[in-house]
Amino acid sequence: MFAATELNNGNRRTQTLIKVLLLTMTLLLIVPVLIILTMLIVKGGPVLSFEFLFSDPKDEMTAGGIFPALMGTVWLVSVALLASVPLGVAAAIYLSEYAGDNWFTRTINLAIINLAGVPSIVHALFGVGAFVLFFKFGTSILAASLTLAVMTLPVVIVATRESLQAVPQAFREACWNMGATRWQTIRRVVLPNSISGILTGVILEVSRTAGETAPIMFTGAVIFMPFLPEGVGDQTMAMSLHLYAMATQVPLPEHATNLPYGVALVLIGMVLAMNAVSIGFRVWLRGKKKW
Amino acid sequence: MTRNIVVKVLCVALLGLLAACGSKRGDRTLIQNKGSDTLVNVAQAWAEAYAKKKPGVAVAVTGGGSGTGIAALINGTVDIANASRKMKQKEIDLAKSKGIEPKEWVVGYDALAVYIHKDNPKNQYTLKELADIYGDGGPTTSWNDLGVKIPGCGSAEIVRFSRQNNSGTYAYFRKTVLGKGDFKLGSMDLHGSKDVVDAVEKTPCAIGYSGLAYATEHVQLADVARDANGPYVTPTVNSAVDGSYPIARPLLMYTNGEPTGATKEYLDWILSAEGQAIIKRKGYAPVK
Repeated sequence: MFAATELNNGNRRTQTLIKVLLLTMTLLLIVPVLIILTMLIVKGGPVLSFEFLFSDPKDEMTAGGIFPALMGTVWLVSVALLASVPLGVAAAIYLSEYAGDNWFTRTINLAIINLAGVPSIVHALFGVGAFVLFFKFGTSILAASLTLAVMTLPVVIVATRESLQAVPQAFREACWNMGATRWQTIRRVVLPNSISGILTGVILEVSRTAGETAPIMFTGAVIFMPFLPEGVGDQTMAMSLHLYAMATQVPLPEHATNLPYGVALVLIGMVLAMNAVSIGFRVWLRGKKKW
Repeated sequence: MTRNIVVKVLCVALLGLLAACGSKRGDRTLIQNKGSDTLVNVAQAWAEAYAKKKPGVAVAVTGGGSGTGIAALINGTVDIANASRKMKQKEIDLAKSKGIEPKEWVVGYDALAVYIHKDNPKNQYTLKELADIYGDGGPTTSWNDLGVKIPGCGSAEIVRFSRQNNSGTYAYFRKTVLGKGDFKLGSMDLHGSKDVVDAVEKTPCAIGYSGLAYATEHVQLADVARDANGPYVTPTVNSAVDGSYPIARPLLMYTNGEPTGATKEYLDWILSAEGQAIIKRKGYAPVK
Protein backbone atom coordinates (compact mmCIF):
# COMPACT_ATOMS: atom_id res chain seq x y z
CA MET A 1 0.00 0.00 0.00
CA PHE A 2 1.16 3.56 0.58
CA ALA A 3 4.20 3.69 2.84
CA ALA A 4 4.64 7.07 4.55
CA THR A 5 7.61 8.84 3.10
CA GLU A 6 9.95 11.13 5.05
CA LEU A 7 8.09 14.07 3.52
CA ASN A 8 4.71 12.78 4.77
CA ASN A 9 6.04 12.30 8.30
CA GLY A 10 7.57 15.74 8.33
CA ASN A 11 4.30 17.28 7.20
CA ARG A 12 2.36 15.38 9.85
CA ARG A 13 4.73 16.54 12.61
CA THR A 14 4.43 20.16 11.50
CA GLN A 15 0.67 19.71 11.36
CA THR A 16 0.51 18.44 14.95
CA LEU A 17 2.92 21.09 16.18
CA ILE A 18 0.91 23.94 14.66
CA LYS A 19 -2.32 22.53 16.01
CA VAL A 20 -0.94 22.26 19.55
CA LEU A 21 0.55 25.73 19.30
CA LEU A 22 -2.72 27.30 18.17
CA LEU A 23 -4.66 25.40 20.83
CA THR A 24 -2.28 26.69 23.51
CA MET A 25 -2.80 30.25 22.30
CA THR A 26 -6.55 29.76 22.44
CA LEU A 27 -6.37 28.37 25.95
CA LEU A 28 -4.18 31.29 27.01
CA LEU A 29 -7.02 33.59 25.97
CA ILE A 30 -9.33 31.96 28.48
CA VAL A 31 -6.83 32.14 31.35
CA PRO A 32 -7.40 35.81 32.24
CA VAL A 33 -11.16 35.32 32.20
CA LEU A 34 -10.87 32.31 34.48
CA ILE A 35 -8.54 34.11 36.87
CA ILE A 36 -10.81 37.15 37.04
CA LEU A 37 -13.93 35.08 37.61
CA THR A 38 -12.26 32.86 40.20
CA MET A 39 -10.91 35.82 42.15
CA LEU A 40 -14.23 37.61 42.03
CA ILE A 41 -16.16 34.57 43.16
CA VAL A 42 -13.70 33.59 45.90
CA LYS A 43 -13.28 37.11 47.29
CA GLY A 44 -16.59 38.68 46.34
CA GLY A 45 -18.85 35.67 46.82
CA PRO A 46 -18.93 35.80 50.64
CA VAL A 47 -19.84 39.50 50.49
CA LEU A 48 -23.02 38.87 48.51
CA SER A 49 -26.26 38.73 50.41
CA PHE A 50 -29.79 39.96 50.06
CA GLU A 51 -28.88 42.83 52.34
CA PHE A 52 -25.81 43.74 50.26
CA LEU A 53 -27.94 44.06 47.13
CA PHE A 54 -30.86 45.91 48.64
CA SER A 55 -29.52 48.29 51.26
CA ASP A 56 -27.77 51.65 51.17
CA PRO A 57 -24.01 52.00 51.63
CA LYS A 58 -23.11 52.87 55.21
CA ASP A 59 -20.11 54.34 57.04
CA GLU A 60 -18.66 55.90 53.88
CA MET A 61 -18.94 52.72 51.79
CA THR A 62 -17.12 50.51 54.28
CA ALA A 63 -20.35 48.72 55.21
CA GLY A 64 -23.90 48.29 53.98
CA GLY A 65 -24.94 47.58 50.42
CA ILE A 66 -25.07 48.88 46.90
CA PHE A 67 -28.76 49.40 46.17
CA PRO A 68 -28.54 53.04 44.98
CA ALA A 69 -25.64 52.18 42.66
CA LEU A 70 -27.50 49.14 41.32
CA MET A 71 -30.63 51.17 40.59
CA GLY A 72 -28.51 53.95 39.13
CA THR A 73 -26.93 51.60 36.61
CA VAL A 74 -30.36 50.25 35.65
CA TRP A 75 -31.53 53.83 35.07
CA LEU A 76 -28.46 54.78 33.04
CA VAL A 77 -28.62 51.68 30.85
CA SER A 78 -32.38 51.90 30.26
CA VAL A 79 -32.38 55.56 29.26
CA ALA A 80 -29.32 55.02 27.06
CA LEU A 81 -31.08 52.13 25.30
CA LEU A 82 -34.25 54.18 24.78
CA ALA A 83 -32.18 56.85 23.07
CA SER A 84 -29.78 54.76 21.04
CA VAL A 85 -31.82 51.75 19.88
CA PRO A 86 -34.49 53.63 17.87
CA LEU A 87 -31.88 55.99 16.44
CA GLY A 88 -29.37 53.25 15.68
CA VAL A 89 -31.89 50.89 14.13
CA ALA A 90 -33.40 53.68 12.01
CA ALA A 91 -29.98 54.68 10.75
CA ALA A 92 -29.08 51.08 9.99
CA ILE A 93 -32.32 50.50 8.08
CA TYR A 94 -31.65 53.59 5.98
CA LEU A 95 -28.06 52.58 5.29
CA SER A 96 -28.92 48.98 4.47
CA GLU A 97 -32.23 49.29 2.65
CA TYR A 98 -32.43 52.75 1.11
CA ALA A 99 -28.99 54.28 0.66
CA GLY A 100 -27.21 53.76 -2.60
CA ASP A 101 -23.49 53.13 -2.85
CA ASN A 102 -22.29 56.71 -3.33
CA TRP A 103 -19.86 59.14 -1.68
CA PHE A 104 -22.51 60.32 0.78
CA THR A 105 -23.15 56.82 2.14
CA ARG A 106 -19.45 56.09 2.23
CA THR A 107 -18.84 59.26 4.25
CA ILE A 108 -21.53 58.25 6.73
CA ASN A 109 -20.03 54.78 7.06
CA LEU A 110 -16.61 56.27 7.66
CA ALA A 111 -18.04 58.56 10.34
CA ILE A 112 -19.67 55.59 12.09
CA ILE A 113 -16.43 53.61 12.08
CA ASN A 114 -14.57 56.60 13.48
CA LEU A 115 -17.22 57.15 16.13
CA ALA A 116 -16.62 53.60 17.30
CA GLY A 117 -12.92 54.31 17.64
CA VAL A 118 -13.26 57.43 19.78
CA PRO A 119 -11.95 56.75 23.32
CA SER A 120 -14.61 56.83 26.02
CA ILE A 121 -12.98 59.73 27.85
CA VAL A 122 -13.39 61.86 24.72
CA HIS A 123 -17.07 60.93 24.62
CA ALA A 124 -17.20 61.97 28.27
CA LEU A 125 -15.81 65.42 27.52
CA PHE A 126 -18.13 65.73 24.53
CA GLY A 127 -21.00 64.84 26.87
CA VAL A 128 -20.00 67.57 29.30
CA GLY A 129 -19.75 70.15 26.54
CA ALA A 130 -22.85 69.14 24.60
CA PHE A 131 -25.41 67.75 27.03
CA VAL A 132 -24.38 69.18 30.42
CA LEU A 133 -23.44 72.70 29.38
CA PHE A 134 -24.83 73.47 25.90
CA PHE A 135 -28.23 71.78 26.16
CA LYS A 136 -28.27 72.69 29.86
CA PHE A 137 -29.34 69.22 31.04
CA GLY A 138 -26.93 69.72 33.93
CA THR A 139 -25.14 66.76 35.44
CA SER A 140 -28.03 64.31 35.28
CA ILE A 141 -29.05 60.83 34.25
CA LEU A 142 -30.28 62.32 30.97
CA ALA A 143 -26.88 63.81 30.13
CA ALA A 144 -24.98 60.69 31.22
CA SER A 145 -27.28 58.30 29.34
CA LEU A 146 -27.19 60.37 26.16
CA THR A 147 -23.39 60.36 26.35
CA LEU A 148 -23.47 56.58 26.73
CA ALA A 149 -25.95 56.38 23.85
CA VAL A 150 -23.70 58.35 21.51
CA MET A 151 -20.81 56.14 22.51
CA THR A 152 -22.64 52.90 21.81
CA LEU A 153 -24.53 53.99 18.67
CA PRO A 154 -21.93 52.49 16.30
CA VAL A 155 -22.34 49.08 17.96
CA VAL A 156 -26.09 49.14 17.36
CA ILE A 157 -25.80 50.50 13.84
CA VAL A 158 -23.15 48.03 12.70
CA ALA A 159 -24.82 44.99 14.28
CA THR A 160 -28.25 45.97 12.89
CA ARG A 161 -26.94 46.68 9.43
CA GLU A 162 -25.13 43.39 9.28
CA SER A 163 -28.16 41.41 10.37
CA LEU A 164 -30.34 43.25 7.85
CA GLN A 165 -27.88 42.40 5.12
CA ALA A 166 -27.88 38.75 6.21
CA VAL A 167 -31.52 38.50 5.09
CA PRO A 168 -31.31 36.96 1.60
CA GLN A 169 -31.87 39.42 -1.21
CA ALA A 170 -34.27 36.91 -2.80
CA PHE A 171 -36.74 37.51 0.08
CA ARG A 172 -36.90 41.20 -0.75
CA GLU A 173 -37.18 40.58 -4.48
CA ALA A 174 -39.96 38.07 -3.98
CA CYS A 175 -41.79 40.59 -1.85
CA TRP A 176 -41.35 43.43 -4.34
CA ASN A 177 -42.61 41.18 -7.12
CA MET A 178 -45.80 40.71 -5.16
CA GLY A 179 -46.27 44.47 -5.40
CA ALA A 180 -45.16 45.37 -1.88
CA THR A 181 -43.52 48.71 -1.28
CA ARG A 182 -40.04 49.04 0.08
CA TRP A 183 -41.34 49.91 3.56
CA GLN A 184 -43.85 47.03 3.55
CA THR A 185 -41.01 44.70 2.64
CA ILE A 186 -38.85 46.02 5.45
CA ARG A 187 -41.60 45.86 8.04
CA ARG A 188 -43.07 42.47 7.12
CA VAL A 189 -40.06 40.56 5.83
CA VAL A 190 -36.67 42.09 6.55
CA LEU A 191 -37.12 43.20 10.16
CA PRO A 192 -38.81 40.02 11.47
CA ASN A 193 -36.02 37.98 9.90
CA SER A 194 -33.22 40.07 11.35
CA ILE A 195 -34.50 40.80 14.83
CA SER A 196 -32.14 38.29 16.45
CA GLY A 197 -29.11 40.04 14.97
CA ILE A 198 -30.43 43.41 16.09
CA LEU A 199 -30.78 42.03 19.62
CA THR A 200 -27.13 40.98 19.52
CA GLY A 201 -26.22 44.60 18.98
CA VAL A 202 -28.40 45.61 21.89
CA ILE A 203 -26.79 42.95 24.10
CA LEU A 204 -23.35 44.24 23.28
CA GLU A 205 -24.51 47.75 23.99
CA VAL A 206 -25.96 46.85 27.37
CA SER A 207 -22.74 45.16 28.43
CA ARG A 208 -20.62 48.09 27.43
CA THR A 209 -22.99 50.71 28.83
CA ALA A 210 -23.23 49.08 32.25
CA GLY A 211 -19.48 48.87 32.65
CA GLU A 212 -18.37 52.29 31.44
CA THR A 213 -17.06 54.74 34.02
CA ALA A 214 -15.46 57.61 32.16
CA PRO A 215 -18.51 58.85 30.21
CA ILE A 216 -20.69 59.05 33.32
CA MET A 217 -18.34 60.39 35.94
CA PHE A 218 -18.46 63.95 34.61
CA THR A 219 -21.95 63.91 33.18
CA GLY A 220 -24.28 62.47 35.79
CA ALA A 221 -22.87 59.94 38.20
CA VAL A 222 -21.88 60.87 41.73
CA ILE A 223 -19.77 59.04 44.27
CA PHE A 224 -22.32 59.30 47.01
CA MET A 225 -25.94 60.34 47.13
CA PRO A 226 -28.19 59.30 49.99
CA PHE A 227 -31.35 58.72 47.92
CA LEU A 228 -32.54 57.03 44.76
CA PRO A 229 -33.00 58.99 41.54
CA GLU A 230 -36.63 59.82 40.79
CA GLY A 231 -36.32 61.05 37.24
CA VAL A 232 -33.92 61.65 34.40
CA GLY A 233 -33.06 65.08 35.79
CA ASP A 234 -31.52 63.61 38.94
CA GLN A 235 -27.96 62.54 39.40
CA THR A 236 -27.30 59.01 40.44
CA MET A 237 -24.78 56.63 41.86
CA ALA A 238 -23.62 53.86 39.49
CA MET A 239 -21.99 50.48 39.90
CA SER A 240 -18.88 51.20 37.85
CA LEU A 241 -18.16 54.51 39.57
CA HIS A 242 -18.95 52.96 42.95
CA LEU A 243 -16.32 50.33 42.27
CA TYR A 244 -13.85 52.97 41.12
CA ALA A 245 -14.44 55.10 44.21
CA MET A 246 -14.14 52.14 46.55
CA ALA A 247 -10.92 50.99 44.95
CA THR A 248 -9.17 54.34 44.72
CA GLN A 249 -10.70 56.73 47.25
CA VAL A 250 -12.03 54.94 50.26
CA PRO A 251 -9.65 53.63 52.92
CA LEU A 252 -11.26 50.26 53.57
CA PRO A 253 -10.74 48.71 57.00
CA GLU A 254 -9.51 45.12 57.25
CA HIS A 255 -13.00 43.61 57.49
CA ALA A 256 -14.22 45.41 54.37
CA THR A 257 -11.41 44.77 51.87
CA ASN A 258 -13.55 42.27 49.99
CA LEU A 259 -16.39 44.73 49.34
CA PRO A 260 -15.06 45.95 45.98
CA TYR A 261 -14.87 42.34 44.78
CA GLY A 262 -18.52 41.95 45.71
CA VAL A 263 -19.43 45.06 43.70
CA ALA A 264 -17.47 43.80 40.70
CA LEU A 265 -19.14 40.40 40.95
CA VAL A 266 -22.60 41.98 40.99
CA LEU A 267 -21.72 44.20 38.02
CA ILE A 268 -20.54 41.21 35.99
CA GLY A 269 -23.52 39.19 37.17
CA MET A 270 -25.90 41.96 36.06
CA VAL A 271 -24.40 42.09 32.58
CA LEU A 272 -24.44 38.30 32.29
CA ALA A 273 -28.06 38.14 33.44
CA MET A 274 -29.15 40.79 30.95
CA ASN A 275 -27.20 39.00 28.23
CA ALA A 276 -28.75 35.67 29.19
CA VAL A 277 -32.26 37.08 28.86
CA SER A 278 -31.48 38.55 25.45
CA ILE A 279 -29.69 35.40 24.29
CA GLY A 280 -32.64 33.28 25.36
CA PHE A 281 -34.93 35.57 23.41
CA ARG A 282 -32.64 35.28 20.40
CA VAL A 283 -32.57 31.51 20.49
CA TRP A 284 -36.34 31.44 20.70
CA LEU A 285 -36.64 33.80 17.74
CA ARG A 286 -34.12 31.86 15.72
CA GLY A 287 -36.20 28.75 16.23
CA LYS A 288 -38.96 30.55 14.32
CA LYS A 289 -36.67 31.46 11.43
CA LYS A 290 -38.13 30.40 8.14
CA TRP A 291 -34.98 29.51 6.24
CA MET B 1 -46.07 37.86 16.40
CA THR B 2 -42.48 38.81 17.03
CA ARG B 3 -43.08 42.40 16.18
CA ASN B 4 -45.86 42.73 18.67
CA ILE B 5 -43.62 41.56 21.47
CA VAL B 6 -40.94 44.05 20.58
CA VAL B 7 -43.48 46.84 20.33
CA LYS B 8 -44.92 45.88 23.70
CA VAL B 9 -41.51 45.81 25.36
CA LEU B 10 -40.71 49.24 23.96
CA CYS B 11 -44.07 50.63 25.10
CA VAL B 12 -43.63 49.34 28.63
CA ALA B 13 -40.15 50.82 28.78
CA LEU B 14 -41.41 54.17 27.47
CA LEU B 15 -44.31 54.22 29.91
CA GLY B 16 -41.94 53.47 32.75
CA LEU B 17 -39.77 56.36 31.70
CA LEU B 18 -42.71 58.74 31.40
CA ALA B 19 -44.01 57.67 34.79
CA ALA B 20 -40.58 58.29 36.22
CA CYS B 21 -40.45 61.74 34.63
CA GLY B 22 -43.90 62.66 35.77
CA SER B 23 -43.60 61.26 39.27
CA LYS B 24 -44.04 63.83 41.99
CA ARG B 25 -40.76 65.29 43.10
CA GLY B 26 -40.53 65.36 46.88
CA ASP B 27 -39.79 68.56 48.76
CA ARG B 28 -36.19 67.50 48.66
CA THR B 29 -33.51 70.13 48.40
CA LEU B 30 -30.38 68.99 46.62
CA ILE B 31 -26.93 70.33 47.46
CA GLN B 32 -24.24 69.66 44.87
CA ASN B 33 -20.87 69.03 46.46
CA LYS B 34 -17.82 68.33 44.30
CA GLY B 35 -14.03 68.45 44.34
CA SER B 36 -11.01 67.38 46.34
CA ASP B 37 -10.22 63.68 46.58
CA THR B 38 -8.70 64.39 49.98
CA LEU B 39 -12.04 65.63 51.21
CA VAL B 40 -14.24 63.14 49.37
CA ASN B 41 -14.46 60.67 52.22
CA VAL B 42 -15.24 63.20 54.89
CA ALA B 43 -17.66 64.89 52.48
CA GLN B 44 -19.35 61.52 52.12
CA ALA B 45 -19.43 61.03 55.88
CA TRP B 46 -21.01 64.47 56.31
CA ALA B 47 -23.55 63.79 53.56
CA GLU B 48 -24.47 60.45 55.10
CA ALA B 49 -24.88 61.87 58.61
CA TYR B 50 -26.77 64.92 57.37
CA ALA B 51 -29.23 62.75 55.44
CA LYS B 52 -30.23 61.18 58.75
CA LYS B 53 -30.42 64.52 60.53
CA LYS B 54 -32.33 66.39 57.81
CA PRO B 55 -34.17 63.92 55.58
CA GLY B 56 -35.48 66.77 53.40
CA VAL B 57 -32.01 67.78 52.27
CA ALA B 58 -29.79 65.55 50.15
CA VAL B 59 -26.13 66.14 49.46
CA ALA B 60 -24.68 64.58 46.29
CA VAL B 61 -20.92 64.09 46.57
CA THR B 62 -18.51 63.82 43.63
CA GLY B 63 -14.71 63.67 43.64
CA GLY B 64 -12.29 64.35 40.83
CA GLY B 65 -9.80 66.67 42.53
CA SER B 66 -9.70 70.22 43.87
CA GLY B 67 -9.30 71.59 40.34
CA THR B 68 -12.43 69.75 39.21
CA GLY B 69 -14.47 71.18 42.06
CA ILE B 70 -13.22 74.72 41.51
CA ALA B 71 -13.89 74.47 37.76
CA ALA B 72 -17.44 73.32 38.55
CA LEU B 73 -17.93 76.29 40.90
CA ILE B 74 -16.75 78.63 38.15
CA ASN B 75 -19.16 76.98 35.70
CA GLY B 76 -21.92 77.34 38.26
CA THR B 77 -22.70 73.62 38.40
CA VAL B 78 -22.08 73.04 42.13
CA ASP B 79 -23.30 74.62 45.34
CA ILE B 80 -20.19 73.77 47.33
CA ALA B 81 -16.73 73.05 45.90
CA ASN B 82 -14.28 71.10 48.05
CA ALA B 83 -10.62 72.03 47.79
CA SER B 84 -7.45 71.05 49.56
CA ARG B 85 -5.71 74.14 48.20
CA LYS B 86 -6.64 77.79 47.94
CA MET B 87 -8.13 79.09 44.72
CA LYS B 88 -5.54 80.76 42.52
CA GLN B 89 -5.93 84.44 41.68
CA LYS B 90 -6.42 83.42 38.04
CA GLU B 91 -9.33 81.17 39.03
CA ILE B 92 -10.89 83.87 41.20
CA ASP B 93 -10.66 86.36 38.33
CA LEU B 94 -12.22 83.86 35.94
CA ALA B 95 -15.03 83.17 38.42
CA LYS B 96 -15.71 86.90 38.89
CA SER B 97 -15.82 87.40 35.13
CA LYS B 98 -18.66 84.85 35.11
CA GLY B 99 -20.48 86.54 37.97
CA ILE B 100 -19.42 84.02 40.61
CA GLU B 101 -18.09 85.37 43.92
CA PRO B 102 -16.09 82.56 45.54
CA LYS B 103 -16.33 82.57 49.32
CA GLU B 104 -13.87 80.45 51.24
CA TRP B 105 -14.65 78.33 54.30
CA VAL B 106 -12.00 76.53 56.36
CA VAL B 107 -13.67 73.29 57.43
CA GLY B 108 -10.66 71.44 58.87
CA TYR B 109 -6.95 70.83 58.64
CA ASP B 110 -5.03 67.96 57.09
CA ALA B 111 -1.53 66.79 57.86
CA LEU B 112 0.09 65.79 54.58
CA ALA B 113 1.96 62.67 55.66
CA VAL B 114 5.10 61.32 54.00
CA TYR B 115 4.60 57.59 53.54
CA ILE B 116 7.43 55.04 53.38
CA HIS B 117 7.54 51.25 53.28
CA LYS B 118 7.19 49.39 56.58
CA ASP B 119 10.75 48.02 56.29
CA ASN B 120 12.34 51.39 55.55
CA PRO B 121 14.69 52.19 58.50
CA LYS B 122 14.82 55.94 57.75
CA ASN B 123 11.69 57.49 59.14
CA GLN B 124 12.83 61.07 59.72
CA TYR B 125 13.12 63.65 56.97
CA THR B 126 13.76 67.36 56.78
CA LEU B 127 11.89 69.46 54.22
CA LYS B 128 15.24 69.93 52.46
CA GLU B 129 15.74 66.17 52.17
CA LEU B 130 12.24 65.80 50.71
CA ALA B 131 12.94 68.60 48.23
CA ASP B 132 16.18 66.86 47.20
CA ILE B 133 14.20 63.68 46.56
CA TYR B 134 11.16 65.20 44.83
CA GLY B 135 12.36 68.47 43.40
CA ASP B 136 13.63 69.17 39.90
CA GLY B 137 17.43 69.27 40.12
CA GLY B 138 17.42 67.63 43.58
CA PRO B 139 20.51 65.42 43.93
CA THR B 140 18.93 62.49 45.79
CA THR B 141 17.89 59.67 43.46
CA SER B 142 18.99 56.57 45.35
CA TRP B 143 18.48 55.38 48.90
CA ASN B 144 22.28 54.91 48.96
CA ASP B 145 22.61 58.72 48.79
CA LEU B 146 20.85 58.82 52.16
CA GLY B 147 22.84 55.89 53.52
CA VAL B 148 19.73 53.73 53.77
CA LYS B 149 19.47 50.01 53.06
CA ILE B 150 15.92 48.73 52.68
CA PRO B 151 15.30 44.98 52.68
CA GLY B 152 13.62 43.95 49.43
CA CYS B 153 14.72 47.09 47.58
CA GLY B 154 17.32 45.74 45.17
CA SER B 155 18.34 48.64 42.96
CA ALA B 156 18.14 51.16 45.85
CA GLU B 157 16.60 53.66 43.41
CA ILE B 158 14.02 55.83 45.11
CA VAL B 159 10.57 55.19 43.65
CA ARG B 160 8.70 58.49 43.99
CA PHE B 161 4.93 58.37 44.14
CA SER B 162 3.21 61.64 43.43
CA ARG B 163 -0.24 62.87 42.43
CA GLN B 164 -1.85 64.04 39.21
CA ASN B 165 -1.44 67.76 38.63
CA ASN B 166 -5.04 68.85 39.24
CA SER B 167 -4.83 67.48 42.76
CA GLY B 168 -4.78 69.92 45.67
CA THR B 169 -2.45 67.54 47.48
CA TYR B 170 0.01 67.85 44.59
CA ALA B 171 -0.24 71.64 44.58
CA TYR B 172 0.18 71.94 48.33
CA PHE B 173 3.15 69.57 48.53
CA ARG B 174 4.82 71.42 45.68
CA LYS B 175 4.32 74.81 47.31
CA THR B 176 5.36 73.76 50.82
CA VAL B 177 8.20 71.35 50.11
CA LEU B 178 9.56 72.46 46.76
CA GLY B 179 8.96 76.19 47.20
CA LYS B 180 9.19 77.76 43.74
CA GLY B 181 10.67 74.61 42.21
CA ASP B 182 8.96 71.98 40.10
CA PHE B 183 8.75 68.23 40.54
CA LYS B 184 11.58 66.09 39.20
CA LEU B 185 10.52 64.09 36.17
CA GLY B 186 10.04 60.35 36.51
CA SER B 187 7.71 60.18 39.49
CA MET B 188 4.67 57.93 39.33
CA ASP B 189 1.62 60.19 39.43
CA LEU B 190 -1.39 58.42 40.91
CA HIS B 191 -5.03 59.43 40.80
CA GLY B 192 -6.10 59.07 44.38
CA SER B 193 -5.03 59.66 47.94
CA LYS B 194 -5.56 56.02 48.76
CA ASP B 195 -3.70 54.85 45.65
CA VAL B 196 -0.49 56.43 46.92
CA VAL B 197 -0.67 54.64 50.28
CA ASP B 198 -1.48 51.31 48.60
CA ALA B 199 1.43 51.72 46.18
CA VAL B 200 3.90 52.53 48.97
CA GLU B 201 2.72 49.49 50.89
CA LYS B 202 3.64 47.25 47.94
CA THR B 203 6.93 48.93 46.96
CA PRO B 204 9.90 48.65 49.35
CA CYS B 205 11.87 51.37 47.50
CA ALA B 206 8.97 53.82 47.65
CA ILE B 207 8.28 57.20 49.12
CA GLY B 208 4.94 58.95 48.71
CA TYR B 209 2.79 61.72 50.14
CA SER B 210 -0.90 61.67 50.94
CA GLY B 211 -3.40 62.81 53.55
CA LEU B 212 -2.87 61.54 57.09
CA ALA B 213 -6.40 60.14 57.03
CA TYR B 214 -5.33 57.48 54.54
CA ALA B 215 -2.73 55.93 56.87
CA THR B 216 -2.93 52.18 57.40
CA GLU B 217 -0.93 49.90 59.66
CA HIS B 218 0.84 48.50 56.57
CA VAL B 219 2.91 51.62 55.92
CA GLN B 220 5.16 53.92 57.93
CA LEU B 221 4.57 57.62 58.44
CA ALA B 222 7.76 59.63 58.44
CA ASP B 223 8.49 62.34 61.00
CA VAL B 224 9.18 65.66 59.30
CA ALA B 225 11.30 68.61 60.45
CA ARG B 226 11.32 72.14 59.05
CA ASP B 227 15.15 72.09 58.96
CA ALA B 228 18.06 70.08 60.27
CA ASN B 229 17.92 71.84 63.67
CA GLY B 230 14.17 71.58 64.12
CA PRO B 231 12.38 68.84 65.96
CA TYR B 232 11.11 65.91 63.89
CA VAL B 233 7.34 65.93 64.32
CA THR B 234 5.08 62.93 63.82
CA PRO B 235 2.00 63.77 61.72
CA THR B 236 -1.06 63.57 63.96
CA VAL B 237 -4.33 65.41 64.27
CA ASN B 238 -2.88 67.36 67.20
CA SER B 239 0.39 68.33 65.52
CA ALA B 240 -1.63 69.53 62.52
CA VAL B 241 -3.86 71.71 64.72
CA ASP B 242 -1.06 73.29 66.78
CA GLY B 243 1.01 73.94 63.66
CA SER B 244 4.11 72.04 64.82
CA TYR B 245 3.88 69.59 61.89
CA PRO B 246 5.34 71.46 58.92
CA ILE B 247 3.16 70.12 56.09
CA ALA B 248 -0.36 70.72 57.37
CA ARG B 249 -2.90 72.58 55.29
CA PRO B 250 -6.39 73.92 55.63
CA LEU B 251 -9.23 71.99 54.00
CA LEU B 252 -11.55 74.34 52.24
CA MET B 253 -15.03 74.62 50.87
CA TYR B 254 -16.04 77.33 48.42
CA THR B 255 -19.51 78.70 47.84
CA ASN B 256 -20.79 81.29 45.39
CA GLY B 257 -21.13 84.37 47.59
CA GLU B 258 -22.71 84.25 51.02
CA PRO B 259 -24.65 80.97 51.08
CA THR B 260 -28.34 80.95 51.84
CA GLY B 261 -30.99 78.43 52.77
CA ALA B 262 -30.06 74.75 52.79
CA THR B 263 -26.45 75.34 51.77
CA LYS B 264 -25.93 77.78 54.64
CA GLU B 265 -27.53 75.37 57.13
CA TYR B 266 -25.31 72.55 55.85
CA LEU B 267 -22.12 74.61 56.20
CA ASP B 268 -23.16 75.79 59.67
CA TRP B 269 -23.72 72.16 60.64
CA ILE B 270 -20.32 71.13 59.23
CA LEU B 271 -18.65 73.77 61.40
CA SER B 272 -20.72 72.81 64.46
CA ALA B 273 -19.45 70.42 67.12
CA GLU B 274 -21.35 67.57 65.44
CA GLY B 275 -19.82 68.12 62.00
CA GLN B 276 -16.35 68.66 63.42
CA ALA B 277 -16.56 65.45 65.43
CA ILE B 278 -17.03 63.62 62.11
CA ILE B 279 -13.99 65.19 60.46
CA LYS B 280 -11.91 64.29 63.52
CA ARG B 281 -13.15 60.71 63.40
CA LYS B 282 -12.05 60.52 59.74
CA GLY B 283 -8.47 61.41 60.73
CA TYR B 284 -8.43 65.14 59.92
CA ALA B 285 -7.92 67.99 62.34
CA PRO B 286 -11.01 70.01 63.26
CA VAL B 287 -11.12 73.78 63.02
CA LYS B 288 -10.02 75.31 66.31
